Amino acid sequence: MSNLKTTLTGYTGYRGREGHWAFLLHRITGLGVVLFLAIHILDTSFVYFAPQLYDEVLKVYRSTLFGIGEVVLVFCLFYHGVNGIRIAYLDLLAPKAWTIEKTRRSAYLVLVITLVLWVPSAGYMIYNLLRHNFGMFGG
Amino acid sequence: MSVTAKEPEKIRIQKNFDQIAWMAMRYSGVLLIPLAFGHMILQDVVVGVHQITTDYAVERMATLGWKLYDIFLLAFAFGHGMNGVRQVFRDYIHNPRSFRIVSSILFVVWLVISVIGAITLLAINPAMGR
Repeated sequence: MSNLKTTLTGYTGYRGREGHWAFLLHRITGLGVVLFLAIHILDTSFVYFAPQLYDEVLKVYRSTLFGIGEVVLVFCLFYHGVNGIRIAYLDLLAPKAWTIEKTRRSAYLVLVITLVLWVPSAGYMIYNLLRHNFGMFGG
Repeated sequence: MSVTAKEPEKIRIQKNFDQIAWMAMRYSGVLLIPLAFGHMILQDVVVGVHQITTDYAVERMATLGWKLYDIFLLAFAFGHGMNGVRQVFRDYIHNPRSFRIVSSILFVVWLVISVIGAITLLAINPAMGR
């Protein structure tokens, strides 16, 4: 328990700014995606192991709550992927660019690219959710 | 004194599992950009969950190209993800024995879920549709 407290105070108290926030976001989005992935592999296996149950899975996926979760998931994967490219590029090709100044700028660039990918995707997904679940835009 | 002018000496270290895993995370991560982004943009955004039916899923997974795509996605994404979980645990579990136990549990979870996914992908054929 004291371990958890140390972790949380470390996460909130450490003032590493952009590099620290990127680390936290990378970790949280990664854990979110892998949790969903484990569920997703198992629910997709219903298509083979219990096809009649897969309709129930689809009903859950079409619910408003899952629709909102899906929009969050898309953000998580986009962020984790774009920030992952930054990490791979710096580690494998340009290790000398791991400086505070440069990583601060690249951390913002990652956020901008993520938003450019996510905002239109989220907009279209929310449009579809409102259309199918709330009968808007002509149902 | 010319200490600063000296080139750092290159030393060879015996590669252990975690050095290979460190590299694998970066290479598989780059590979997952087209694989995972492509899968998610197509299924979640372009097609959308309201258009997906059991028949659609069967038909897609029965197509050889998508079957191969999904096998690569399953292998790389879940391996990358579970090793990531292992790295997170490493930050908090300092006792080597405890960490070995946690690693073994994660390995079993990874193996079981991967096998279930692989059986699904390999077994689905066009005849299952209707």
